Amino acid sequence: MGGRTDILGKLKSDRAGLAGFLIVTFFFLIALGVWLGWLGQGWSDASGGRWESPGSAHWFGTNILGQDIFQRAVYSVRTAFEIGLVVAVFSTLLGAVLGALAGWYSGSWVDATVMWMKGVLDSIPFYLFVAALAFALHGQPWAMHLAMIATFWTTTGRLVRAEVMKIKSMDYVRSARSIGLHDSLILARHVLPNTSHILLVQATIAFVAAIKTEVILSFLGLGVQDGVSWGLMLAESTQEVLAGHFANFIAASGLLFLLLIGFNLLADALQDALDPRQAAL
Amino acid sequence: MKPLLRKLLQGLLLILGVTLISFLLMVWFGPDQTYTLIGKNASAEQIEQIHQQLGYDQPFFKRYLDYLASLATLDLGTSNASGEQVKKILMRTVPVSLALMIPGFILGNLLGIALGLSAASHHGQWRDRLISGLSVGGMSISFLVVIIAFQVLLSTPYGLDLFPVRGWQVSGFGSYLQYVTVPTLALVFVTLGYNTRFYRAVFIEESGKDHIRTARAYGASHTEILWKHVLKNSMVPIVTRVMFSIPLVVISGSLLIESYFGIPGIGLATFEAITSGDQPVLKAVVGLTAVAFVAIQVLSEMLYRLLDPRVS
Amino acid sequence: MPARVADKLLYLLAAGILLLQLAACSEAPEGSESNTSGSVYRHSMDGAPRSLDPAQASSIYANMLVVNLYDTLYRYKYLARPYQLAPNLAEALPQVSSDGLIYTIRIRPGVYFVDDPAFPGSKGRVVTAEDFVYSLKRHFDPATRAQGAWLWQNRIVGLDQWKEDGSDYDREVPGLRALDEHTVQIQLISPFPQLTHTLAQGFSAIVPREAVQHYGREFPIHPVGSGPYQLEGFNSSSAVLLRNTKFRQQPFSLEEEGYDPETQSYAGLEHLEGKPPPFTDRVEVEFVAEDAARWNAFISGETDFIKVPVTQFDQVLSARDPPVLTAEMAEQFQLAANLESGFVHTDFNMDDRRIGYHPNPDQDARNKALRCAIIKAFDWQKRNEVFYYGIGKVFPGIIPPVSIEYDPAQNSGFNDRDLAGAKKLLRDSGWHAGNLPELEYGFPSSVTERQMFEQLRSFLADIDYPAEKIRPLTFATYGDYARAYLNREVMLTTIGWTMDYPDAENTMQLFYGPNSSPGSNSANYNNPEFNRLYRASATMPPSPMRTSMYRSMNRILLEDCVTISGIARTLILLWNRDLAMLPDRSFVGGFFFRFVDTGTGAAGSSKNEASRQ
Repeated sequence: MGGRTDILGKLKSDRAGLAGFLIVTFFFLIALGVWLGWLGQGWSDASGGRWESPGSAHWFGTNILGQDIFQRAVYSVRTAFEIGLVVAVFSTLLGAVLGALAGWYSGSWVDATVMWMKGVLDSIPFYLFVAALAFALHGQPWAMHLAMIATFWTTTGRLVRAEVMKIKSMDYVRSARSIGLHDSLILARHVLPNTSHILLVQATIAFVAAIKTEVILSFLGLGVQDGVSWGLMLAESTQEVLAGHFANFIAASGLLFLLLIGFNLLADALQDALDPRQAAL
Repeated sequence: MKPLLRKLLQGLLLILGVTLISFLLMVWFGPDQTYTLIGKNASAEQIEQIHQQLGYDQPFFKRYLDYLASLATLDLGTSNASGEQVKKILMRTVPVSLALMIPGFILGNLLGIALGLSAASHHGQWRDRLISGLSVGGMSISFLVVIIAFQVLLSTPYGLDLFPVRGWQVSGFGSYLQYVTVPTLALVFVTLGYNTRFYRAVFIEESGKDHIRTARAYGASHTEILWKHVLKNSMVPIVTRVMFSIPLVVISGSLLIESYFGIPGIGLATFEAITSGDQPVLKAVVGLTAVAFVAIQVLSEMLYRLLDPRVS
Repeated sequence: MPARVADKLLYLLAAGILLLQLAACSEAPEGSESNTSGSVYRHSMDGAPRSLDPAQASSIYANMLVVNLYDTLYRYKYLARPYQLAPNLAEALPQVSSDGLIYTIRIRPGVYFVDDPAFPGSKGRVVTAEDFVYSLKRHFDPATRAQGAWLWQNRIVGLDQWKEDGSDYDREVPGLRALDEHTVQIQLISPFPQLTHTLAQGFSAIVPREAVQHYGREFPIHPVGSGPYQLEGFNSSSAVLLRNTKFRQQPFSLEEEGYDPETQSYAGLEHLEGKPPPFTDRVEVEFVAEDAARWNAFISGETDFIKVPVTQFDQVLSARDPPVLTAEMAEQFQLAANLESGFVHTDFNMDDRRIGYHPNPDQDARNKALRCAIIKAFDWQKRNEVFYYGIGKVFPGIIPPVSIEYDPAQNSGFNDRDLAGAKKLLRDSGWHAGNLPELEYGFPSSVTERQMFEQLRSFLADIDYPAEKIRPLTFATYGDYARAYLNREVMLTTIGWTMDYPDAENTMQLFYGPNSSPGSNSANYNNPEFNRLYRASATMPPSPMRTSMYRSMNRILLEDCVTISGIARTLILLWNRDLAMLPDRSFVGGFFFRFVDTGTGAAGSSKNEASRQ
C-alpha cells in the first residue's frame, strides 16, 4: 500500500473522480442545508395551483396538490443522504466486524456461522425480504433501513474476510500475537484499520445501492412513509406523465442521476487509488 | 468426494436457514390474510372462524415443521385467495418469468462482453473512455426511471406506439416478440453498465498477463489474441459471474418488470402473495427459491472448480 | 482452442432453442388467435378479482364477472335511471305476502347450466329452485369462506340455526325452500324491504352443487353457471368470456329496459330491439390497476372501454358541467358521466378517547368541539378540485345524491369551509397548539392516499394545527389497513363506501351502533336516538315517513360531528364509438356486458382488428 500522499496525488489527477467528489460534496451541502432548516422547507406546503408550469414562484412548477416540485426535490436530497449514510455506515461496519471475525477465526465455527448467515441472506430475493420485513415491523420507518443493512453487509463481509485472512499471516500481526495481545485488541488496532481501503470503497457502493433501492421501495409503497423522496416523486410522476406533466419526473430522475453518477465516479476513483488490484464489480 | 459432500451439507444447512428466516418473516410475522377474505359487515365470530381455518392459531414450530414437510413432499396445497393449486400456479407462472427475463439476461451479458472486449482491447484510448463513461452513466440510472421512460417512449402515442403497453397475451413467436421487447430493452439498458464494467476489468486483467505478452511477441494478430487467448481464458470469471447473477437478475429483477407491465409471472405472484399473506403460495415460492438459489450457488462453485483446476 | 469458442456457441444455440420452446409453451390461458369468426368486446377494470366463486364476490370486480357467468334471480334494468329491479332468472318480481314476511318467486323453466365435466356425461342440466336454495345456504357454511352472509344473517327463518347445526345440506331450512322444481319460497323473521335487491347481487348467484363438489378448493377458478357467458381463461391480469350457446333466448326490449330516448339516444341502441342477448361472442376483460397503464392501453386501442383516471380528465374533457368530450376525443369515443352510487368519507374513531367519546362529560364536549372544528376546517372545494376534477358532488352526511331521500336543502352549508368558526370552537374549548392531540390518519400506501393525507395536513395548518401533530399511519396493503380499522386501531379512517343496492338503508346502517367494528360502522358511533330511528325504519319500504326519519338521522349524525362526509365521485366512462352500449359501473355493473353490440357483427369491428396487429 502506498503512502497517504501517493493516494491523494492519484485522486487529484483523476479528473472524473474529482468531478464525482465535487458533485457529492455539493449535494451533501444541500442536504446539510435542508437538515439545518435553510433549504427545501416548503416541501409540503400546498401553496400553488394544480400543476403549474415552471415559473418565478415555483421554479419547477407544482404537482397536483400545488406543492413546489423544486422544494420537494431539494428536500429529497436530505432523505437520500439520511438513508444512504445510515445504510452505508452500518452495513459497512457490520460487514467489517463480521468479516474480520470470520477471517480471523477462519475455518472455525465462527467463520462457518458468518458464512452461513451470508449464504442465507444472499439466498432470499431482496425485495421480498424487504416487503416481509416491512410487514413484520408493522410499517415502522426503519424497516427499510434495517432490511438494507441486513443484506448489504454481505459483500463487505466477504471482502474483509478475504483481506483479514491475508493480513493474518503478515509479520506484524504474528509478532503482536506472539506478544500475547488479546485477539480483539489486535483486530481493532491493527487488522481492521488496514482494511479501511476496502471499507471506504464499499461504503460508497452501499450508498449508491441504498439510494437506488429506496427509489424502488418507495415506488412500491414500502419505503419512505412520511416526508418526500425521489422514489415518492417518481411514484407520483407515473400518474402525471401521461397527462403531459413531466416536471416531477424530470426533477426527481435528473437529481437522482446526478447524485448517483457523482458517487459512482467517486467510488471508481477511490478504488483506483486505494486498491487497483481489486476487480471492479 | 468429500468436498462435494461438504458442499451438499452446507447447501442443506443454507436451505434450512433460508426457510426458517423466510418463514419467520413472511409467514409468522406476515399480514393476516383473514381480512382480505371477509366481506363487509363480517361478525367477530366469522373473522375468528376464518382466522382459525387459515391456521394462524397453531404454535410456531408446528407450523414450521408442517411447512418443511410440505416442501419435502412437494405437497404445496392451494392458494387461500383463489383456490388454485399452488403447483399449477407455479407451472403457469415460472415459464412466463423465464421467457420474460432470459432474453434480456443473455443479451445484456453478450453485449456487455462485446463492449468490455472492445474497451479492453483499446485500453486507454477514446473508445475505452467512451464505453467506460457510458457504463458509469448506465449504472447511475434507476431501473424505475428506465421502465417508466421506455413505456412512454415505445408503447404510447406520445412516443413510437409500437408495442403493447402491458400484458402477456402470448400465443406464438410473433406475439411473444411483441410483449417481451420493451421489458427486454429495459433490462438490457439497466444491466449493461454493470456488465460492461465487469467484463472490461476482467479482460484488462487477462490482457496484462504474461502469456498474452508472449503470444504478442510471437506475432499473433490482434483478433487472434482477443478471441483465442483473452476471451477463452476469461471464461472462468465470466461463467462464474453469469451463474451468480442469475438469481439476482432473473428472480429478483422480474418483480418490478412483472408488476409494472402486468405480466403474470412468478415475481408478481410472489409479491401479491406477500402483500396479501397468502401462505401456501408464499411458502412454496420462498422455499423453492431458496432451493434454487442454493442449488445455483453449489453448481456455480462446482463449475468453477471444474473449469479452473488451479483453484484449491 | 477454437473448440472452447465453439462450445460457447453451442451453448448459446441451445439456449436459443430452449427460449423458443418456452415461448411456445408460455401461452396465456386465453389464446388470442385473432378471432375472425366472432365479435369481441374488450373491457378494462381498475382492479382484479381474486375468486370467481359467487359466495366470495365481494369486490366490484368479482361481481361484474360473476353476474355474467352465473344467473341471479334478479338484475337491474339496463337503461332505467334511477335504477330499477328487473327479473333475471326469476319470471317476475316476487309475490310478497301482506305481512311482508313470505316471498314466493317462480324461476324460468328450461334454463341450463353450461356443459362441464362436473356433470354426469359432461352435460349441463336444468337449473332448479333447489339450486338457488343450495347457493344461499353456502353462505352459511364455514367451509365456503363466504363473504355475503351478512345480507341474510338474522333475516331468514332457520338459516342461522342451520349453520349452528352443522351446515348439513341435506337438511331443510324452513325459511328457504323449493316448493317445486321452479318455485322458491323465502320466509323472513321480520320485514326486510331490501330482500329483492339482495337477490340481484353476485352473492346470490346460482351455482350447481355438482361443480362445487367436483372442483372443491378450485371451484373459484372453475365457474359453472347458467349466465350469458362462460369462462375460457382467467389469471391475475385478464379474463376471457365466451358466449354461452345454451343461454336462454330473451329478446331485448328497449321499453322493458327503461329506455329514455331523450337522454340515451346517443348510445345508438335502437337497432338492437328484438335481438336476444348476449350480442357479442367474446368478452376480454383486462385487469389494470395502474391508471397510467390502463389509460395507455385504452388510447392505443387495446381496450374498448375505460373508467377514465382522474388525472386524464383535463385531456379528455372540454367542459366540466356538464362534462363534454373534446372534439378530438369525440371523433373516436362516447362518454357517460355517472354519479357513483356511494361516497367517500373520513370517520373519527369514537372509541378513541383522544378524539371520540370520553367518560368525563367536559372532555367529551371538548372532543366534540375539536371534531367539529376539524370538519369546518376541511376544504371540500379544494379536495373536490384536486382529486375529483371538481365534478364530484359534495353533500353533508350520509344520504348520497343518488338516493331518493337526498335533500339538497338540508344542512346545505354544512360542508362549507368556515375557518373563523373552527378557530372559535377551538378557542372556546381551550384547545391550542400545546394540548391538541396527535392525529393519526390511517391509509393504505399509495400515491393518491398519501397526497390526500398531505392535503388534509395543509387544511388543518390553516387553523394552526401543528403539522408535527398530524401523522400518517400507513399500511402496505388494503387488507392490513382493514385489519387495523376493523380492530379499532385507527384514529381517522377514510373509507369509500359503494352501495350494495339503491336504497339508502344501505348507507344508514353505516352508523348504526350495533354495526360497530368489525362491522361497517367504522366510526364506532353509538347514538341511542339514531339507533332507535334506525330500528324503527328498518322494516319500512321507501316512503315519505321513512324519508323524514332518515333525514332526522342524518341531522343527528351531523350535529355529533362524527364524520367528515362526504363526496360522491362523478365517474367518466369512455367507450369506442363503434360499439352500441351504455356502460355502468354501479348497480347495473356487469349486467351490461350482454347488451354490448360491437356494431359489425360476425366480422369483428375493423378498429379492433387493426389495433390488435
